[in-house]
Amino acid sequence: MKKYLKVAISFVLISATGCSKLDQQLPGSLTNQQVSNALGSAGVGLLLNGAYADLGGTFTAQDLLFCLEENASDEALVPTRGGDWDDNGVWRVLHNHTWDANHTYVLNVFNSLNKLNFDATNVLGFSPSASQAAQARFLRALSLYYLLDLYGQYPVRQPGEDLRNAPEVKSGAAAAQFIIDELVASIPNLPTTGGAGVATKNAGNTLLMKCYLNRGAWVNRASPTFADADMQQVITIGNSIIASGNYSYMSEYFRNFDALNSSSTENIFTVVNNSGSAANVSDVRSEWCRTLHYNQETSTKPNSGWNGFSTVSDFYNSFTTGSTPGVDLMEGVTNYASNKTGRYKDTAVDARVGGRFYPGITDKSGQRPGFMIGQQYSETGAPLTDRKTPANPLQFEPGIAADMKETGNTLELTGIRVEKYGPDFTNGSANYQGNAGNDEVIFRYADVVLMVAEAKLRAATPDAAGALALVNGLRTARNAKPLASLVLVNTANLYAGNALLTERGRELYWEKVRRTDLIRFGMFNKIWQYKPSDDPKYLVYPIPTQSLSVNPNLVQNPGY
Amino acid sequence: MHLKLLAKRLSIALLFLAGSFIANAQQKTVTGKVTNDKDGSPVSGASVVAKGSKSGTQTGADGSFSLSVASAVTQLEFSSVGYTSQTVSIGSGNVVNVGLVATSGGLTEVVVIGYGTARKKDLTGAVASVQAKDFNQGVITSPDQLLQNKIPGLEVTSNSGQPGAATTVKIRGNNSIRSGGSPLYVIDGVPLDGRSARPNFGTNFGSSPDANALLFINPNDIQAVDVLKDASSAAIYGSRGANGVIAITTKTGSAGPSKIEFGTSWSVNAGYLKKYEVLDAGEFRTALTKYSISGQDKGATVDVFKDLLNKKLSQSYNLALSGGNDNGKFRASFLASSTNGTFKNSQLDKYIGTFNGQYKFLDKKLTIGFSLIAGHTSEDVIAVSNTAGSEGNIISSALQWNPTTSFKDANGKWVYPTNGSGNPMALLDAYDDKVQINSVLANISASYKILKNLDYKFQYAINNSVGSRLTNIYGFLQGYAGLSGSGYGAISGQKLNSQTFTHTLNYNATLTKKLSLTALGGFEYWKSKFSNNSFSARGFNTNLTQETKIDIPYTAILQDGQVQSLPTTYIDPTVEIQSFFGRVGLNYGDRFLVTATMRADGSSKFGKNNKYGYFPSAAARWVISNENFMKSNRILSNLALRASWGITGSQEYPSGAATEQFTFSQYNSATQTNVNNPDLKWEETRSTNIGLDATSKNGRIYGSFDYYHKNTTNLIFQDVPIAPAPSGTYFRNINANLINSGVELGIGATIIEKSNLQWDVNFNLAFNKNKLTNFKASRILTGQINGQGVSGTLGQIIDNNYPVNEYFLKPFGGFDASGNQIIGASQQYAGDPNPSTNYGFSTTVRYKKLSVVINAGGAAGFKIYNNTATSVTNISGISNGRNIDKNAYNSAEKPSSGVGASDRFLEKGNFFKLRNVSVNYTVGNVLRYVKGLNVFVNASNLFVITKFSGFDPEVNVDKSSGGYPSRSIEYIPYPTARTFSFGFKFTL
Repeated sequence: MKKYLKVAISFVLISATGCSKLDQQLPGSLTNQQVSNALGSAGVGLLLNGAYADLGGTFTAQDLLFCLEENASDEALVPTRGGDWDDNGVWRVLHNHTWDANHTYVLNVFNSLNKLNFDATNVLGFSPSASQAAQARFLRALSLYYLLDLYGQYPVRQPGEDLRNAPEVKSGAAAAQFIIDELVASIPNLPTTGGAGVATKNAGNTLLMKCYLNRGAWVNRASPTFADADMQQVITIGNSIIASGNYSYMSEYFRNFDALNSSSTENIFTVVNNSGSAANVSDVRSEWCRTLHYNQETSTKPNSGWNGFSTVSDFYNSFTTGSTPGVDLMEGVTNYASNKTGRYKDTAVDARVGGRFYPGITDKSGQRPGFMIGQQYSETGAPLTDRKTPANPLQFEPGIAADMKETGNTLELTGIRVEKYGPDFTNGSANYQGNAGNDEVIFRYADVVLMVAEAKLRAATPDAAGALALVNGLRTARNAKPLASLVLVNTANLYAGNALLTERGRELYWEKVRRTDLIRFGMFNKIWQYKPSDDPKYLVYPIPTQSLSVNPNLVQNPGY
Repeated sequence: MHLKLLAKRLSIALLFLAGSFIANAQQKTVTGKVTNDKDGSPVSGASVVAKGSKSGTQTGADGSFSLSVASAVTQLEFSSVGYTSQTVSIGSGNVVNVGLVATSGGLTEVVVIGYGTARKKDLTGAVASVQAKDFNQGVITSPDQLLQNKIPGLEVTSNSGQPGAATTVKIRGNNSIRSGGSPLYVIDGVPLDGRSARPNFGTNFGSSPDANALLFINPNDIQAVDVLKDASSAAIYGSRGANGVIAITTKTGSAGPSKIEFGTSWSVNAGYLKKYEVLDAGEFRTALTKYSISGQDKGATVDVFKDLLNKKLSQSYNLALSGGNDNGKFRASFLASSTNGTFKNSQLDKYIGTFNGQYKFLDKKLTIGFSLIAGHTSEDVIAVSNTAGSEGNIISSALQWNPTTSFKDANGKWVYPTNGSGNPMALLDAYDDKVQINSVLANISASYKILKNLDYKFQYAINNSVGSRLTNIYGFLQGYAGLSGSGYGAISGQKLNSQTFTHTLNYNATLTKKLSLTALGGFEYWKSKFSNNSFSARGFNTNLTQETKIDIPYTAILQDGQVQSLPTTYIDPTVEIQSFFGRVGLNYGDRFLVTATMRADGSSKFGKNNKYGYFPSAAARWVISNENFMKSNRILSNLALRASWGITGSQEYPSGAATEQFTFSQYNSATQTNVNNPDLKWEETRSTNIGLDATSKNGRIYGSFDYYHKNTTNLIFQDVPIAPAPSGTYFRNINANLINSGVELGIGATIIEKSNLQWDVNFNLAFNKNKLTNFKASRILTGQINGQGVSGTLGQIIDNNYPVNEYFLKPFGGFDASGNQIIGASQQYAGDPNPSTNYGFSTTVRYKKLSVVINAGGAAGFKIYNNTATSVTNISGISNGRNIDKNAYNSAEKPSSGVGASDRFLEKGNFFKLRNVSVNYTVGNVLRYVKGLNVFVNASNLFVITKFSGFDPEVNVDKSSGGYPSRSIEYIPYPTARTFSFGFKFTL
C-alpha cells in the first residue's frame, strides 16, 4: 500500500507544480486599459495622432486615392511600357473604365479610408476633450466623404463595438446627411488656429462645402440636381472662409506644393512633412517619382524616377492660349544661371502650366515643375537621354498607344509628365528618395473660391457675374488671361475654355478631385482619350469582393 | 553566464572526470573479439562491460577488445546498436570471442516517442527512425539535410542553395493554409521555438531567405532522428503536434575508457547542379542579329556564372571526447567549419561546442543529466532575396548580364550598364552583409528512482539565441535608386529565448504473468520571448567611388549617414504554454499492445474563452507473428498490424492574435492594431493511421506500409477585419476541412550478405493527396509573382475543393503574328504545386574495406512556376541589351512582346536527384594509437534529371502573401553547387 501511496503522492505533486494563469503578456504593445489609464489624456492624443497619420499614405500614394480619383479621369493614365507597368492591367482598366470588384486598388482604397474611419472613431471611446472629439469626428467625416463619393455607401461603427460583428452601413441621402450633421456638430469645437496640419474650423468648413456641393451628385450620379439651399450653404460658408482673411493666392503657384509649402497662404488642410524627418507619415516622393523618367534626377543617379504616370494631350491643351511653353521659357534652359527671370517673360502663358526655371529645383536637377513635354535637361543644361542603346534623347511625347501598351523604341518617352510637387532639394539630394518635406495638400483655398463660383452658377438664381469675377480673380493670380464669360460646363466639349469644369481642371489637376468633378458636371461617362467607351455603372466603384464577403450589410453596386 | 567563465568551469569538470577513470588494483585482463554472427565481420564500437562492475570498453575497428576487470568478475555484457545484447561467461585463459546476432530490421532499436522511449517492436504508432550511419553524407550544414529522402512521408525541400538557408519540412502533406506548417523539433526532450534569431532586413534587393533554425546543432553530434508521423505518436505534444514531431537525440558517452574521435573534411564547389539556360556570348550575338538590335555587342565574351562560382576550399573539423563508467558518462565535442556558398563572398562559418553527461548518485537512484550546446554561426550573405522587385538581385544581375560585356573597363572600374541589369561583380564588391548568431541550448535534469518501477524526472531547459546583422551597401554601386551615390547601412538584432520546465513520472508494472503496464504522467511549462530591433541610414560620405573604398563599413559609422531612418523595435507578446499529459501502455503477451495518450494544453495565445485544448489518442498493435498459427511459418519472422487514432493541434499564429492591442506606430501616435477575439483557439487535426510491419525470416528483407487520413478543422484563418477596423489581420477559426491522405511504403533489403561483400538497399515511397473542403470564406490569393511589370500579381489560390496553393494563372495563348505573347483575360485554376509523390533510394555496397554509399531521391506530380522566366529573363530585355532565356529565344516570341504572368511559365516539377555518393575506405588501425581510420571521398548534388528549366526543381522561394504561404515558385534563387569532398576520421 505504501508503494501506491508514493505513486499517488508523486502524481499529486507534479500536478501541483506552479500553474500559470496564461494571461497574454504584451511587452511591446498596449492594452485598452493601458491606453486609457497609463497614458491618461496623452493616450487620447496619441490615438488622435494615429488617425491623422492615416491621412499620409491615403492622400499621397500613387496607388491609393490618387489612382481612383485621377487615373479614372481624363487627367492621368499609366501606359504599360514594354516590360514595365503592366501589373496585371490594373492601371489600364482604371483609365478606360473596365475595372471590376476584384481590382486591387479599389480594395486598398476602401481599406485605407476605413482605417482612418476606424482610428478616428476609436478616439471617441477614450474620453477625448471637446477639441479632440471634434477633430476625430472631422477626420471620420473626411473618410466617410470619400467612401460615399467613391463607393456610394460606407460602414460606420460606434466606439467600442465588437469588431467581429458586421457594422451598420449607410447609403444615399441618409449617408450624406450623417456626414453633414457630424460636421455641423463638431465644427464649433474645432481649433481656430494651428496651421494647415490641424483640422481647423476652416478645414471643417471646406469639407462641409464639399458635402453640400456634391450631395446632388451622390443622390443621383447619372443626372445630378442641386438644391438651392445646399448651394446657398456653399456660398455662405465659402464666403466666410474668403472673408476670414486667412488665405490669399501665392505669387508662385508651385510654391503651394514644393518643399517650402508649409509657408503657403493657400493651403487649408495638409499632411505635414518635414525635410529630412524619418517620422514623416507620407512618403511624398511618390508625387514626383511616379511620373519622372529613370534618368531624370542627375545622370549619376539613375532610376530616380519610376517613369509611369502621364497625362493626355487633350487635357494639356485645355490651357489653350499659348499653352505650349514659348521660346522665352526655353531661354533659361541653356543659360538659366544668368537669366533666372526668363520664366516670367512670356506673360501669355498660364503659370499653372509650369515648364519654367524654378529656383531650388531646376538648378539642382534641371527639372521644371508643371507639365513636362519635349526635351528634358540636366542641371547643367545638358540634354538627357533614355535608357536605350543607342540612347534616345529624353523627349516626352504627347502621343500614347491607343491601347495604352507601348512597345516601340520610344516606349520610355511617351506621355506628357506632370510634376506638381517639386522635389525636395533643400538638402542636396538627400531627401529626394525619402523623407522629403513637401506637405501633402488635401484642401486648398483656390478650391474654396471655385466652389463658391460653382454654387453661384448652380443657385436657383444664378449669379454669373459674381462667379466670373471669382474665377478671373484666380486666373489673374495665375498669370492667365481673364475669361470673357463663364458657363458651368459644355456637354459637347469637355475642354471648353470658358467652362468652370475646365477651370477646375486647370487649377486643381492631379489634386484628387477630377473624378468627383466630372461626375458632378455630368461628364464622367463621356468618351475621352484612351477611353473608347463607357457605362454608367462606372459612376460608382464596386464594393470590393473581399469587403462584401465579410460584411453582409454592404450591398454591391448595380452592374458589378 | 559569460562563456569564458563557463568554459573555465567546464574544463575543471573535465579534469575531474578524467581522474575518475584511473583503474583499481586486483585486476585480470580479458581480451577477445566481437564479430557478426552471420559473416564473421568485425563489429567495431561494441560496448563491453564487466557485469557487476564499473569497468568497460569498446571494441576497435577490428572488433577486438582488451579489458582490465576485477578478478572477481565472471561475466561480460556485450551490446551494440543493431545487435541483440549478450552476456557471456569469462572462460579459462581470459579470452572471450563473441558472435553477435544482428537484429531484424532494427526491431530492438530504441525509438524516442515523446517524454520517453520504446523499442521499435513495441511501437503502436507511426514513427520512423534514422540512425547516424544512415544519414545523408557530404556537405551538411543543418540536421534536416541529413534526412532528405530518408523517410517516407517526410518532405525536406531546400529553399535555397545558400549554406544555412531554411528548408521547408513537411510531414504527410500540407497541414495548414497558414504559414508555419513546420514540424515541432524536440532536441533531447526539449521542444524548440522553431524560429531563428537571425534578423531579416529588407533592402533594395528585397528580403533575404530565412535561416535554418537548427544551424546550431552539430550534425556530427546526432545519434538518431525520430519522426513522429501519426497522431498517436504526436498527440503527446498536443497543440504543437499537428505538423508532426522531429525528435533529435544527440550522442552521449558510453561506459568504457575515454576516447577521442576526430574527423575532418575539405570540400570544393565544382560547378552547378544545373544551370539556368540563358544565351552565351555567341548565341547572344546571333540573337542581336536575329532581332536587328544594334549597339549591344560589346566585344567581349563572358561566362557570368563561371566567374561567380566560389572555388574556395570549405573545411570542417570535428573533435569529440567521451568516456564513462557504470556511474556516469560524458561527451564533449567541438566543431569548427567554414562552408563556402556557390557564389563568391558567400560563406557560413560555424563553431559549436557541446558538453553533456549523465551521472548517478545515491546508489544509482538519482541520475543527474546535463547538456550544453553553444553555437556561434557567422554568415556572409550576398544580395539574394525572396522578394526582389524591379531592381532584382545578384542572381537577376547575373542572368541579365550582357555576355559580351566585360565587368570592368580598361581602367579597372566596374562597368554599369544603363539597361537596369546591374553588374553582379560590382554588387559582390559593394554589398557587405554579415549575420552572427549565438545560440545556447542548455538543459539539466534529475531523475530519481522512487521505487524500483517508478521514476520521477525533472528537466529544465533554456534556449537562448541572439542574432545581429550588419548590412552595408556602398554608394559607389551605380544603378539603384536611393543607393547609388548615397550608400546604405543597417544594423538589426533579434533575440529569442525559450524555457521549458518538465516534470514526468514513469511507472512500469507487471500486472499478471502476461500483462504489463507502462504509465507516464507529466507537467510541462514552456515560455518563449522574441524581440527585434533595427535602424538604418543613408547618405554616407565614404565609399562613394570605387577608387576611394575603405574597409570601414557604414554600420561602424552609422551616425555619418545624412538621412537616418526611424529605429524600430518590436517585442512579440510572450508565449506561455502549460500542459498536463499522460500515457498508458498495455502489453499482453507481446501479442496485443495498446497505447492511449492524453494531453491538456493551455496557451497564452488562445483566446480567453478557449484557454485549454485536449488532445487524446489511442493506438494498438497486433503482433500476428507471435500468434500460434504464425509461429510455424517459414517466411516471416515478424508481422504486425498497427492502427491509431488521435487529435493533435497547431497554434501557428502570432502570439497576441487573440488580444486587442494598441501599438505605437509613427512618432507620437498610437493605433489599435489587432481585433480582440476571445474565441480564438488551436487548429485541430484528427488523424487515423493503419500500418503493417513485416520482416522476413532471415531478417534480410523488412518493410512497413502505412495508410493515413488527416482531417484538419478549426482552420486558423487570417481573415479580413470587417471594416472599419484595424488594418492588417484578424485571426479566427473557420469550419473548413483540410484533408491530407496518403500511403507510405518503406522497404529495406540486404541483397548480398557475405563476409567480404555486402549489398544493402533501402527504398521509400509516399503518396499524398491534399484538398481543402467546406471552405466557405472568400478565396485567398497568395504566391507573389515579382518583378518589373508584374507587381501585385498573385499566382496561387486557396479555394474550396482545391489543394492548398493551387496555381491560379491567366492562360497563355501562344504568340500573335508580330511575336507578342497572348495572355488570356482571367486567371484560371492551373495545377498543383504540392508533390503527390516523394521517393528516396539509398544503397550501400561494401567489399572488404571499401564501401560505396549512394543516396538519391525525388518528387513527382507537381508543377513549378518559373517567375524568373516571367520577369527576369523575358525576351523584352534583349532590346535593352539584357540577356534572355534560351526558351524565349527559341520560340516565335519577339522582343516587343509584353511581360505578364501566365501558365506559360508553369512547368512540370518531376525530378530525380542524385544527392550524394560516398566512397569510404576503412584503413583500420594505424600505428599504436590511431584506431578505425576511415578515408572518404564524397560527391554531393551530382546531377538532377528533370524537365524543369530553372536552377533546381527542388525549390520553394518564399513568396507568401499576407501570411499565407506559397509553394514551388522559383524566383531568382540561390543556385545549388555540385560539391566534392575529401576527408578522414579516426578514433584515439
